[in-house]
Amino acid sequence: MGQAEWVTDPISTRDVDGPIYFSDEDWRTIEAAAARIIPTDNHPGATEAHVVRFIDRMLAGTQFVFAAADGEGFLRMQGREERAWAERIEQRRDLYRSGLIQLCDVSVGRFGAHFVALSCDQQDAVLEELSGEPKPTKFSFDAPEDDGLGGAPAGNQPVNEDFLSFFPLLVLNSRQGFYSDPVYGGNENRIGWAVIGFDGPPTLASTMDGSYTTKKYMIVDAEWPYERHPEVLRYRRP
Amino acid sequence: MKTKKNPEPVDVVIVGAGAGGATAAKVLTEAGMRVVGLERGPWLKPEHASGDELKYLNRNFIWQDPKLKPRTYRPNDREEAVVTNFSATPQVVGGGTTHWGGMVPRMTENDFKLRSIHGDVEGASLVDWPITYDELEPYYTRVEWEFGTSGLGGANRWEGRRSRGYPTKPSPLSQIGRTFATAMDKLGHSTFPMPQGMVTEPYRGRQPFSENGFWQQYPDPGTGKSSTLISFIPDAINTGLYDLRSDCYVSEILVGPDGKATGVRYQDEDGDEWVQLANAVIVCGGGIETPRLLLMSKSALFPDGLANSSGQVGRNATFHQYSFSVGLFDRDLTDPLYGWSGHYMSGCSFDFYETDESRGHILGSLIFPSNLGHPVNWSFPGRPTWGSAAKDADRELFNHTMKIGILLHDLPVESNRVDLDPTVTDAWGLPVARITHTPHWNDFAQEKWQVAKNGEVLEAAGARKVIPVNMERITGNTSHELGTTRMGDDPATSVVDRWCRTHDVPNLYVFDASFFPTATGINPALTIMANAWRCADQIIRVDSRGWAQG
Repeated sequence: MGQAEWVTDPISTRDVDGPIYFSDEDWRTIEAAAARIIPTDNHPGATEAHVVRFIDRMLAGTQFVFAAADGEGFLRMQGREERAWAERIEQRRDLYRSGLIQLCDVSVGRFGAHFVALSCDQQDAVLEELSGEPKPTKFSFDAPEDDGLGGAPAGNQPVNEDFLSFFPLLVLNSRQGFYSDPVYGGNENRIGWAVIGFDGPPTLASTMDGSYTTKKYMIVDAEWPYERHPEVLRYRRP
Repeated sequence: MKTKKNPEPVDVVIVGAGAGGATAAKVLTEAGMRVVGLERGPWLKPEHASGDELKYLNRNFIWQDPKLKPRTYRPNDREEAVVTNFSATPQVVGGGTTHWGGMVPRMTENDFKLRSIHGDVEGASLVDWPITYDELEPYYTRVEWEFGTSGLGGANRWEGRRSRGYPTKPSPLSQIGRTFATAMDKLGHSTFPMPQGMVTEPYRGRQPFSENGFWQQYPDPGTGKSSTLISFIPDAINTGLYDLRSDCYVSEILVGPDGKATGVRYQDEDGDEWVQLANAVIVCGGGIETPRLLLMSKSALFPDGLANSSGQVGRNATFHQYSFSVGLFDRDLTDPLYGWSGHYMSGCSFDFYETDESRGHILGSLIFPSNLGHPVNWSFPGRPTWGSAAKDADRELFNHTMKIGILLHDLPVESNRVDLDPTVTDAWGLPVARITHTPHWNDFAQEKWQVAKNGEVLEAAGARKVIPVNMERITGNTSHELGTTRMGDDPATSVVDRWCRTHDVPNLYVFDASFFPTATGINPALTIMANAWRCADQIIRVDSRGWAQG
C-alpha cells in the first residue's frame, strides 16, 4: 500500500499520561536531562512542555511518526517505509539505552548519586562531560567573527538525525519536543512557541482550511516602487 | 509466479511526474497522444499537506528516506564514496514542484551563450546552449500563464524580450522583503518582486495562498502554490489519455535489435514486474536518477549504458549549492522581522547576476532574502545548543534574524559526475547513484564574494552581527540536479540534441534538468517546464510522424 493510501489511526500521544516506552525511572532521568537542556526560568521550559513525552512517543514505535495532516490521529505506516522507520527507532532506542547508562555512571562516579538526585549545577556538569565540550556560553553580538563553518546546520535542510550520537540526539529531540506541533506530545499548549514569539497555528487543521494566516505580520498593502514604471505598465495584466 | 498480461502499448511512456514529466504529459495528451506516466513515489494530494514542521523537514515525509534510497558521495576518484542523503528531493507525483519555494525567474540572454562570452575556462567544460532565449521565450510565457505565476513583468531589467507579463500580481511583501529592498536601495542596488510559482489572485478556479507561512519545503494544502500536481497533471488527466501510475519504479529502459527504445521495465508497489511498451520513452527522473537509469540500462548494443556513446552520461553535473549570510538583529534596536510570516522569500535582485571580472571571478547568481526556518530547525552557526544560553538565543533572536542567499552558478566540470556505486544498493537491490564532485575554483571565488556582499547588505539593513555561511563542499541542498545528460549539437560531446532527444537512440528523450548544458544562477523549474513544452511540440510536429499506432 503506497504512502498516499495509508489509513489514519485515531490515536493520540496523550491517550495515556505517563510512559509508553520508557521505564518510570528512565522517564524521570530523561525529563531531568531535558530540563537542563531547555531550563525553566521566567518562561516555561522542557518540563512544562512535556518534552519527555515527545521523546517517549518517538521511541514507542512507528505509530507516532507521522501525524495525519489535520492532526486528528496518526498515519499507520506500511511496507518498506514502515520497516525503515522501525529500524531507525531501534537505533535510537539503542542510543538512549546506552546514553542512560552513561548518564547514570557519570552521575554516580562524580557525585555519588543518580542524575535526578543531583543539583542543577551537578546535572549540568554531567551533561557537559557527556557532550565532550564546554557548556555553551551566552550568545554575544560582539563575540569574535565566526568562520561560518561548524556550529549549527548551514543550509536550508535539517540535520540528519540518523548520524548523531546520544548527546546531540538528546539535544535535538528536546528541541523538537519543545517546538514541534503539539500533536507529537510536547510543546504543551504551544508554550514552546510562546517563549520565542512564534504565533503558530492553533491546530494543524487550521493550516489547511485557510483559517490560520500570518498576514498581520506582513506588509500586504505595500506596492513595489516601480509599479507605475513604463516598462512595467507595458506588461500589465489585462 | 502468477500469470499476468503486460499493459497495452501506448504512444509515449514518461518516467517521472515532476516538472518535466508532467509538462510533457500535458502537452502530448492535449495533442491526442496516449501517454503512460510511471512515478516511483506516491500520489499524495493537497489534503495530505499541512503546516507540520517535524513531518516535512525532520522526518522526510516527502523526501527520499536515505535508508531505502541512499546515495553516495566522494570528492574525487581517489576517495571512497560514503553514504549520504545527497540532494534530498521529493520523489512524489509533482516532484520538486511540491515542496519548492516556487522561484521562477527566467534565464537571461547571456545564460545561453557563456562559452561565446567567456571562451575557454581552464578546468571547466563551459559550452553555449544550442538554443537561444528567443527560441524559449514563447514557452516561458505559456508556462507562466498555464501553470500560474505571480510577478511584475518588466521589473527585471536584466531579462530579455518578454511577450507578456505575469498572470497575477506580485506576492505581498514580508518584513524580510522590505528590509532587504530598503538596504539594497541604500547601497544603490535594485530589487524586484520575486517571480513565483503561485497565484496571488483568484485564477482559473484557484484561490491565493492563505499566507499560513508554511511555504518553503511544505506542499500546499490549498491551491495557491503552483505545482504540476494541481495544474499540468489534472490537465493531462482531463484529456482521458494520461494513465499515471504512482509507486511504480522503472529499473530499465528496453531497446530492440534496431537500437530503438521499445519501452521500460518497472516494478509496482506490490513488487510485481511489468513491461510498458511505447513508441517513445521520455526520461524525467531528475539530474541524478535519470543518468542512473540510463547507466543501469546496459545491453549488448549499449554496453556502457544507454545513450552513452559519448561517455558523457552523468558528467558535467552541477548542483546550485545554496550559501548565504545570516544577519542577527538586536531586538532593542530593531523591530521584529517575523521571518515565519508569508512565503519564505518576497524579493530578489539580479544586480550581481551578470559577469563583472573586476570581482575576480566570472558568472553570478540571483540573491534573495529569506527566514532561517520554523522553530525546530531555526538556527545559525555558533548558536548555543543547550542550557540557558540556548534558550536566551532562541528567545532573543528567533524573530530578529534573516539571511540573504545565493544559488551558486557553478561551472560544469567533466569529472564532476553521477555514476553507479559499485557496492551500495537501494532497498530494491539496484545500484545507487554515486556523486563525484569537487567545485571549480571559480565556484569558490564566486560563492565567497557573493556571500560577503550579501553580508554587506545585511549590515546596511542594520544587522548587529553578520555570519557568512560558506560551502565546504557540494551537498545538493537546493534539490537542483543539472547537466548530467547535456544538450548539444555534437554527438561526440553531448548526450541529447537541441530537442532533448538522445543522439544515440532516436526515440529516447530527457526532459528534466539533466539537459542543462550550463547551470545558470537561477532556479531551474520554469526553464525545465518551458523546454519540455518546446521539445514535446517537436515530438508532436515532427518525430511522431511514422510511429506505429499505439
